[in-house]
Amino acid sequence: MKFKRSSLMYYFFSLIGGLLILFILLPLLHSILSQSPPILLKEATDRGVQEAIFNSVFLAAVTAMVAALLGVPLAYILARRNFFGKSLVESVVDIPLAVPHTVAGIALLFVFGRYGVVGGPVEKYLGLRFVATRLGVVAAMLFVSLPFMVNSAREGFESVDVRLEQVARTLGATPFEVFRRISFPLAMRGILTGWVLTWARAISEFGAVIILAYHPMTAPIKVWDTFTQLDLRHSSAVAVLLLSVCLVGFVSFRLLAYGGMRKGNGK
Amino acid sequence: MIEAKNLSIDLGEFKLVSVNLSIETGEIFVVLGPSGAGKTVLLETIAGFYSPDEGNIILGGELANDLPPERRNIGFMFQDYALFPHLTVEENILFGTRYKRIEGAEEKFKEIVDTLNIGNILHRLPRTLSGGEQQRVSLARALIVEPQLLLFDEPLSALDERVRESLRDELRTVLKRMNQTSLYVTHDQTEALVIADRIAVMHDGQIVQTGKPDEIFNAPVNEFVANFVGVETVLEGKVISHHDGIAVIDVGGVEVAVAADIPMGGTVLLGVRPESVVLGTVDKVRESSARNNFEAKVTKLTPLGAVVKVGLDCGFPLVALLTKQSIEELGLTEGRKVLASFKATAVHAIAK
Repeated sequence: MKFKRSSLMYYFFSLIGGLLILFILLPLLHSILSQSPPILLKEATDRGVQEAIFNSVFLAAVTAMVAALLGVPLAYILARRNFFGKSLVESVVDIPLAVPHTVAGIALLFVFGRYGVVGGPVEKYLGLRFVATRLGVVAAMLFVSLPFMVNSAREGFESVDVRLEQVARTLGATPFEVFRRISFPLAMRGILTGWVLTWARAISEFGAVIILAYHPMTAPIKVWDTFTQLDLRHSSAVAVLLLSVCLVGFVSFRLLAYGGMRKGNGK
Repeated sequence: MIEAKNLSIDLGEFKLVSVNLSIETGEIFVVLGPSGAGKTVLLETIAGFYSPDEGNIILGGELANDLPPERRNIGFMFQDYALFPHLTVEENILFGTRYKRIEGAEEKFKEIVDTLNIGNILHRLPRTLSGGEQQRVSLARALIVEPQLLLFDEPLSALDERVRESLRDELRTVLKRMNQTSLYVTHDQTEALVIADRIAVMHDGQIVQTGKPDEIFNAPVNEFVANFVGVETVLEGKVISHHDGIAVIDVGGVEVAVAADIPMGGTVLLGVRPESVVLGTVDKVRESSARNNFEAKVTKLTPLGAVVKVGLDCGFPLVALLTKQSIEELGLTEGRKVLASFKATAVHAIAK
């Protein structure tokens, strides 16, 4: 009796799970299948669309790099140290997840705008501008995607046994050497996951980017722009093009990263 | 020489209270105590993972309190070996040689690999190794950097009984051959007896007794030590003859026969379990197969519930465990002369 009831539960749970998967796939498949080939071809060969897709993919990758450079050290500290105000720092890291992205965009504009506390001096002394530049796109993408990097990398570091680091110290390695040869390689899986999540989140960002840098256009903005300039059919063609590029990138990166990682990852 | 002076630290759950230790070069010093006694904290403090609240750690005459772990030249063997999972056995062993200048590192590597018999697994990853193999690799990794002190945190407790017993003897042999000063913590009395040159018994963060194994086992300073180490008699002696698988050991002038293969002239520790000792009256000598028969004086009777612990003096101290009925039938009182017997096969001999 008991066995039958539990197996019934698994059928029921699988049914619910299946609905969820369908909920994700159906809209995406529908947009792909309902395309008119001529419009798709026209948009695919459009210079502006190509540029927008390149901007999204490339700038999101740059964002993920910057996020890794800035996020990994913080993640290591959060994973290994206890200090006064740690939970406050943890909350701050998660804030971008809760802030509506248009709100984030406006807040960023005030600070990184031409007369903002950061934007002003940076333009004056370094000659760099955030508003309507690729730098601005990266800043907006970074703001909304950084939590993914920090949290994943932190989980990666937490999965590394502290005793491995301690034993490396007794063998003569300094804290930085321990980080370089033990903690970092062993947390690589978490860091790569963070990188992929950050990249994916950055590509999909619309709200914050549109406010800080409408131009140079990224793909989500191009979709919006095409919708307002032309119609839904054209904009959905752009959407499907971006979608395909993202899926191909996402899937191949996962295969590459995790396929090669399986060997060395112990814990 | 390694010294800890009045070492105190309070980590809440675990603590050390004014711990004093001094370990001679080449000595294997065992800290014996129940879990929660603070043994691991002691090792971690000496290794430099924690700084003591009070007291000093002195390594080779120099104060080491403020040295970070990588500058103390102290090795650490963890219970689960802590091998680097992403590095091969060879890379694991050589990890420390990048940071410490070791003279003749290559020969040293070969020597250690040969001694520990791990030449055939050098290119494997740790997770493909058995527990015993991991233990050897971990030991090799620690030994190659020639630590002035090697710390062991219950290194055998994760292994199954059979492997543990053979590694226990081997470990002592290897450490002695390399003259490796060691501090070894365990909760296992037999392990302490086999491995130690000297033992310190630890309880609630304090060292309650320090001494040679036979001193700890035969002359416990308080009830805690007595209960914890048990009432086994431990004797130290020298092998004076060896014939047909029976060794005769001279224990302070008295000869004890032991069924064991022990080379002549060596020092041995003998363990006699109190339940193996049979007592009889002196006037009624009975024929028996026991090879060890001593006239003894009852020095102390201690009731332990249904049984009575009988302390005896037969030229060396001996403890027997008898039922109350037997005590009454024999009419045992303190000061009485009795005949104490135990079989040569009932003696557990440990060559030192």
